[in-house]
Amino acid sequence: MRTVRLLLFVVGSAATAYGGWLLFPQLGTALPWLIGGPVLHDVLVAPLVGLVGLALGRLVRNRLRLAWIAAGLMASATLLLIAVPLLWRPRSAPPNPGLPDRDYPLGLAVGLAVLWAAIVVVLVVATTVDRRVTDRRTDRR
Amino acid sequence: MIRRPRVPAPEDFTAPSHSPLVTARLGLWLAVAFGLCFGTGLLSHYIQHPPGWFTWPTRPVNLYRVTQGVHVLSGVAAIPLLLAKLWSVYPRLFVRPPLRQPIRLSAHALERISVLVLVCAAFFELVTGLFNVAQSYPWGFFFPTAHYAVAWLVVGALLLHVAVKLPVARSALSTPLRRRRAVRDAAPGPDDPDSAQRRAFLRTSAGVAGIAVLATAGVTVPWLRRVSPLAWRSASGPQGVPINRTAAAARIAVPPDWRLEILWPGGRDSLSLADLAALPQRTAELPIACVEGWSASAHWTGVPVVELLRRAGAPTGRPVRVSSLETDGLYAASTLPAPHARDPLTLLALRINGEQLSPDHGYPCRLIAPSRPGVLQTKWVARLEVLR
Ligand code: HEM
Repeated sequence: MRTVRLLLFVVGSAATAYGGWLLFPQLGTALPWLIGGPVLHDVLVAPLVGLVGLALGRLVRNRLRLAWIAAGLMASATLLLIAVPLLWRPRSAPPNPGLPDRDYPLGLAVGLAVLWAAIVVVLVVATTVDRRVTDRRTDRR
Repeated sequence: MIRRPRVPAPEDFTAPSHSPLVTARLGLWLAVAFGLCFGTGLLSHYIQHPPGWFTWPTRPVNLYRVTQGVHVLSGVAAIPLLLAKLWSVYPRLFVRPPLRQPIRLSAHALERISVLVLVCAAFFELVTGLFNVAQSYPWGFFFPTAHYAVAWLVVGALLLHVAVKLPVARSALSTPLRRRRAVRDAAPGPDDPDSAQRRAFLRTSAGVAGIAVLATAGVTVPWLRRVSPLAWRSASGPQGVPINRTAAAARIAVPPDWRLEILWPGGRDSLSLADLAALPQRTAELPIACVEGWSASAHWTGVPVVELLRRAGAPTGRPVRVSSLETDGLYAASTLPAPHARDPLTLLALRINGEQLSPDHGYPCRLIAPSRPGVLQTKWVARLEVLR
């Protein structure tokens, strides 16, 4: 394991240095976009996720329901993130008439609707099955 | 009870999703996603800027379509995986540095810096890639070179990260997630809730990555075209194929006396559009496979480049430079490497899906070759030049 770690260390350092050397001429303009991600995440996104998680834990007591709602929120957030460049187009590049070519807001709305409809269906089915199982167990007693 | 607000410590985070058992598995998945991105990205880079030792096959004709599709889709999958991984390790942001031990402190600082580079670079690649596929460039740097440079930063910092975390990761990965009921009946009863929640978190992360891929894969997977709501390109466009750069954007004016020039060391020839149309035509189904990951197939009809050269008496089996009527712009010319120049499926196309090329598709004629990025399929061709 020591040799493997040492090898990883050497190759990793070399690749990092090479990347830094390649990026150097553009470092000035790229720097805000490099730092922006972790800063936004650590001071904004992660605390927000934590708070939402805590609140959700208080509001929803049922384990199964909690898990599915949390999954729905994670999926929705991901879809929203992916949609950002399609919905928000700052004018920095010359507009290209060939692009964009679809109705993204509609697509996003439909996607989210399908997602939450699926989660509701899953929860209803799971609750019914759960109740049946509990009923059967109580019957037997 | 009133608690004084303070900076949290790692021990304050008690959710099972912060367990190293979860972290290591998410890390492994991320390494697969970023590894695929890096490998396919490097290929795409070399196809566009080939070093001397590099060759790229012309078959299967969809090869570049597949590698670049894998590139963008594994990047999309990495978005939720990266967020899940960072959530899993968020408590570690608050680890207090060992201030009183200089040696351990410097090791700690080095590790922090390498992790910072990793996270910066990983976010950068995903964010810039995502904006690029939407053809939006809200920044001052040149996307292709910056994205390429930072790819090396991600890979380098990732290797360093694995070097540091290997012992933790190995023991975490060899510990089963499902905590078995203790041997015999020492502790019978249901699965313990922490273990169940760890598995639920991992399952959700994988599931969301799957949803993200499904939501975008329609850019390149034909049967998902109608399913993916966030595919950045449809497969439709004039004459059935999308267009990135229009004739107006490229400021193309085809002169009425347009002729295709063929140059080679020691000779030249030229053909009018009527001459070209009078030559034996070949029809091939080939994809336009864009670096942005979208792709669409069409039936192209035209004259194989190798036939043109042969008829003109030019040497074949050498690289050929294809120049456009477009005078400026990065993609005004491209070089067909010898294997592509020799391939009978490499066409100078005059027709698309049975119709004459429209101006936006490259009228009077365009290059279409198997297994190549769309940016190298030069439109509005003016000249073929056989290189040495
Ligand atoms: C782009 C990919 C990755 C990113 C951005 C990333 C990010 C991070 C961060 C920010 C930390 C916290 C650093 C700290 O301990 O202070 C961490 C910890 C960790 N990572 Fe990664 N990581 C990635 C890939 C990997 C891979 C490939 C593995 C190996 C399978 C891995 C395994 C671990 C482990 C075991 C920990 C420590 C968890 C603990 O001690 O609680 N990570 N990662």
